[in-house]
Amino acid sequence: MSLLEIRDLHIAIGEKPIVKGLSLTLRGGEVHAIMGPNGAGKSTLSKAIAGHPDYTVTGGDILLDGRSLLDMEPDERARAGIFLAFQYPSEIPGVSLANFLRAAVQARIPEGEELDAVAYYKRLYEKMDHLKIDRKFTSRAINEGFSGGEKKRCEILQMMMLEPEFVLMDETDSGLDIDALRIVAEGINSMRGPNFGALVITHYQRLLDYIVPDYVHVLYDGRIVKSGGKEIALELEAKGYDWVQNELAPAAVA
Amino acid sequence: MSAFSPSIASDDAPTSASQDKGVLAPNPVAGIDQTRGDFTYDVEYEYDAGVGLSEATVRYISQVKKEAPWLLDFRLKALKKFESMPLPTHWATKDLENIHFDKIRYYLAQGQKPKRTWDEVPDDIKETFERLGIPEQERKFLAGVEAQFDSEAAYSNIKSIVAKQGVIFVNSTEGLREHPELFRKFFGKVIPTGDNKFAALNSAVFSGGSFIYVPPGVKVAQPLQAYFRINAENFGQFERTLIIADEGAEVDYMEGCTAPKFSTSTLHSAVVELVALKGAKIRYITVQNWANNVFNLVTKRGLAHEEAEIKWIDCNIGSRLTMKYPGVILRGRKARGEVISIALANDGQHQDTGAKMVHAADETTSNIISKSISVGQGRATYRGLVQMGKGLKGCKNNTECDALLINTNSRTDTYPAITVRGDKHATQHEASVSKVSEELIFYMQQRGLTEAQAMSLSVNGFINDLASQFPMEYSVELKRLIDLEMEGSVG
Amino acid sequence: MPLPDLENPHLAKHSVSTRAAGSEPHIDTEPELPEWWLAAKQAAWERFNELPLPTRLDERWRFSKLSGLALDSYALTREERAAQTMSQRAHHPMEEEAHETPYQCPTLPPFERAATLCFHGQTLVHGVELPEELAERGVIFEPLTEALATHGDFLRDYFHKYPTELGSEKFTALNTALTNTGAILYVPAGVEIAEPFLVEHSVEGEHAAAFPHTLVILGERAKATLVEHFTSDTEAPQLVSAVSDLHAAAGAQLTYIGVQDWSPAALALHSSAIAVERDARVLSINLHLGGAQVRHESHSRLLAPGAHSDMCSLSIAHGHQEFDQRTLQTHAAPNTSSDLLYKNALLGHAHTIFSGLIVVEPDAQKTNAYQSNRNLFLSPDAHADSLPGLEIEANDVRCTHGSTSYRIDPEQLYYLLSRGIPPAAANEMLVFGFFEEVLNKLNDTHPALRDALSTFTQQKFKATQSA
Repeated sequence: MSLLEIRDLHIAIGEKPIVKGLSLTLRGGEVHAIMGPNGAGKSTLSKAIAGHPDYTVTGGDILLDGRSLLDMEPDERARAGIFLAFQYPSEIPGVSLANFLRAAVQARIPEGEELDAVAYYKRLYEKMDHLKIDRKFTSRAINEGFSGGEKKRCEILQMMMLEPEFVLMDETDSGLDIDALRIVAEGINSMRGPNFGALVITHYQRLLDYIVPDYVHVLYDGRIVKSGGKEIALELEAKGYDWVQNELAPAAVA
Repeated sequence: MSAFSPSIASDDAPTSASQDKGVLAPNPVAGIDQTRGDFTYDVEYEYDAGVGLSEATVRYISQVKKEAPWLLDFRLKALKKFESMPLPTHWATKDLENIHFDKIRYYLAQGQKPKRTWDEVPDDIKETFERLGIPEQERKFLAGVEAQFDSEAAYSNIKSIVAKQGVIFVNSTEGLREHPELFRKFFGKVIPTGDNKFAALNSAVFSGGSFIYVPPGVKVAQPLQAYFRINAENFGQFERTLIIADEGAEVDYMEGCTAPKFSTSTLHSAVVELVALKGAKIRYITVQNWANNVFNLVTKRGLAHEEAEIKWIDCNIGSRLTMKYPGVILRGRKARGEVISIALANDGQHQDTGAKMVHAADETTSNIISKSISVGQGRATYRGLVQMGKGLKGCKNNTECDALLINTNSRTDTYPAITVRGDKHATQHEASVSKVSEELIFYMQQRGLTEAQAMSLSVNGFINDLASQFPMEYSVELKRLIDLEMEGSVG
Repeated sequence: MPLPDLENPHLAKHSVSTRAAGSEPHIDTEPELPEWWLAAKQAAWERFNELPLPTRLDERWRFSKLSGLALDSYALTREERAAQTMSQRAHHPMEEEAHETPYQCPTLPPFERAATLCFHGQTLVHGVELPEELAERGVIFEPLTEALATHGDFLRDYFHKYPTELGSEKFTALNTALTNTGAILYVPAGVEIAEPFLVEHSVEGEHAAAFPHTLVILGERAKATLVEHFTSDTEAPQLVSAVSDLHAAAGAQLTYIGVQDWSPAALALHSSAIAVERDARVLSINLHLGGAQVRHESHSRLLAPGAHSDMCSLSIAHGHQEFDQRTLQTHAAPNTSSDLLYKNALLGHAHTIFSGLIVVEPDAQKTNAYQSNRNLFLSPDAHADSLPGLEIEANDVRCTHGSTSYRIDPEQLYYLLSRGIPPAAANEMLVFGFFEEVLNKLNDTHPALRDALSTFTQQKFKATQSA
């Protein structure tokens, strides 16, 4: 069974500390939700796990199946099994979705082995149909001119094609209408199983109606101030983020 | 500047230079505004270098000013340089060939020392500036004023509260006399004599202009202003301005200018050098409204040291031909340069303006925004230069040039040159040319505005974001000026 | 000034010089060539000798390396086998010298063609003849000199009818004077040909000079595509002065592709003149890969309402290459449009210059013109100059231009890395993505040609990486 361990993690952007000692253990088969107000450090956490160069880990460790990710390049982390679904996916002119995904799949098979192109396309089309993405999108440049919903579905498509062990979903629900949200959630749910874990980052409880988490963590000012079952999400929804600021945060520090 | 004078009708002028000649029987559009500065007085000049340019002219100027030998030497070398350099007609307009250097008067002055109060200023000169609204502005919102009449400042004053902070604000003649060490240290360092033919000419015959020094950390709250007035015919005005903002200092400088409209052309060729030391900020604001027979060939450049900021805000409405490309040499790390430029070219006018940004240190940034409006047969040209040197990193430039063409025979050109060395920089240049949208005009007419009103509103909308960068008193005036210029341009 | 004689073996090593080039009388051994042609060559030779070399004060040569323009070290070589007239060879290219292995021009990846002409120096070494059916409909696709001999008077009107006016007048005069190779494509009114015509020019010999001239004439509503592929048979210095003269009559649709892959030591000057008549459309794409110092001038003239010109370029500049590109979009009639996209990828110590001008003449109301130069820096030592210009004398127009210089976007790179693509492959993918915008112009009309060019540029880029 796969295992992602975050141990007393400290992250800074430039000189500024953002995440200030966060620990979390995610096992294969589990879905954890991270909720928190803007600026709590949610996106920072996901970017840092995926190795974005702007985010510096200043303390602690991140271990995938017992092996530290910190010395690994972003692409090595990805091939090791980490997938980040971006909040704002990059638009890349001139690089078609099909070529890009093919290169990504190719990078995961041993050197010297050729990708079975027929099987690849068959699988790609299957997933696209599943996510209701027009097949014509394969020849379009990645994310270029895609609507918000199309971009998010395209992220899920990539996730399904690359079959990661752990997926970090960075506010995947932002900017999605309810239909798109449902499609995205179905994509995630179809992946659930003992070899798949997810860290779902969200500001709103809404997404968790569709992707039901095993655990919910509340993040505030770079620290987890409360953890528990999915009922926390509902409580947070009812009481609002003031509750976090006024009650949870002081309690956690004390 | 003329535009500030609240109510002067042209027929009040003692002698109106433009009235009796058909040549410039102007497009009513251009005429309206320019009549405001279009008057002249018969002044008895005590000092006159005569007509034409020779070594004797230069020696005369230097002698009258009682200059040190090194400066005479500097002037004479500059004269040689001027004589040896060709007109830049391989890239610039051939209209330059219509300047007759041998028919110009290079130095005319009534006295050598500017007055400190308006009461001491000779009546006709005082009246000139009163008609242009200068004393009134001084009372209202300025920290200091220098008023130059032909070759020398007639009036120069700085509010005592500012003077007490150690701020120096005098004309260049006084600056050389009273602060020779400071002056000489920076003089000619930003714009070398041989930078271009007209900078060489200025270096040979310069007179007047401002010398400003702001001590470290001093932030001058209100702007300092200079006003340049040409009164005499066949005259060339060659002021020289040097502004030094010491570490962490801040200063705003504004200049305005007018001249009566003579039947012969007039030459104005200034050199302006700015030095912003570490962390200093200089903002230099120009509203140029020369009569449209003035050749306005000006070299303006600033040197920005570490984390310093130099901003040129430049508006050109008058003159026959303006060639002016304010620049910033970004010498220190994280220095910032900016040029905001508005040009309005009417019949018989060519506004050839632009900007230069030389990135010579890491992480320097520059921004150029230029908007021009061509009316009637007017021609507006943008020329730009952006350079990012080898071995540097993190330099950024953004340039936007927009041109609006009002009439079918209006003209605009854009000639930027961007040089980038190395892969650590980002430059972006965008330019567009358009006309006022017919849809928009129709929309406003449907709401009951006349076509002319609609046009004026559209044009003001076009420059609105830039006009707001001028100090309040200027931006209101600027909009009104453009309204006047636009009047009658429709149909 | 006498014209140096290409056909006279005594002048085989005649030096091309800015000075008077020898005093031998001119004898042209092609008796069938029309008088006007020979007279034009003579006049052009005189013009070449009269015109000065560009100087620092010439704005049209701003930023160019003028010291590289010395012409003294090149010779007008001529191999024995070229002594045979080109017309003979053109008719039976493959039967000639059957005992000898014919020279193989460097090729592009395969794509379906209507017909091919392959020149080695001035010799036609290979050709795929025009299909019978097209010949019967009046299509002409022949080597220059042959076409001149048979269709001379008809062609006369088109030669240099609209010369490029961008600074290389001296060199186009040299081309006219010494033109010794090239092709003519004429497609009569109403004839539409989907497959591209291909002309291969391989410059022959070390220190050789070559002067290819290609003339394309599309009649009204005709539709055709021409690909010119310029190569060298050596890596030694060569001099090339090339002219591509393109004419699209009313309603015609012309696609022109120029792929230059000259010797890494070559000095080349190439002028493209594009004349577009009413409702005609021309798409021109130039790929710059080879040469040491290459100047390309491209001048589109929009001559009548509805005319449209698409001008594109893609450069992979590496080593110490200098690619100097000058363009002019002249809108001489109302309701015309043009769109220019020049993209440079800069590696090593390469230097690129883009100087473009949109001119809207006073009567050309309702012009819609666009111009864009994008420089992708892949090296700390590369150098790009960009001079996008506008001269607008009509008010009811939409004209915009843009110029950007940048490096690989770190966010885009990170996105690819985050999917597990290794850094080298990710970088390459972004560079190829940068190329696609130009090549995609062929998506709808010429997908196979597009793929061939895409493969070719990618190979070329990879070669610069391993070099």
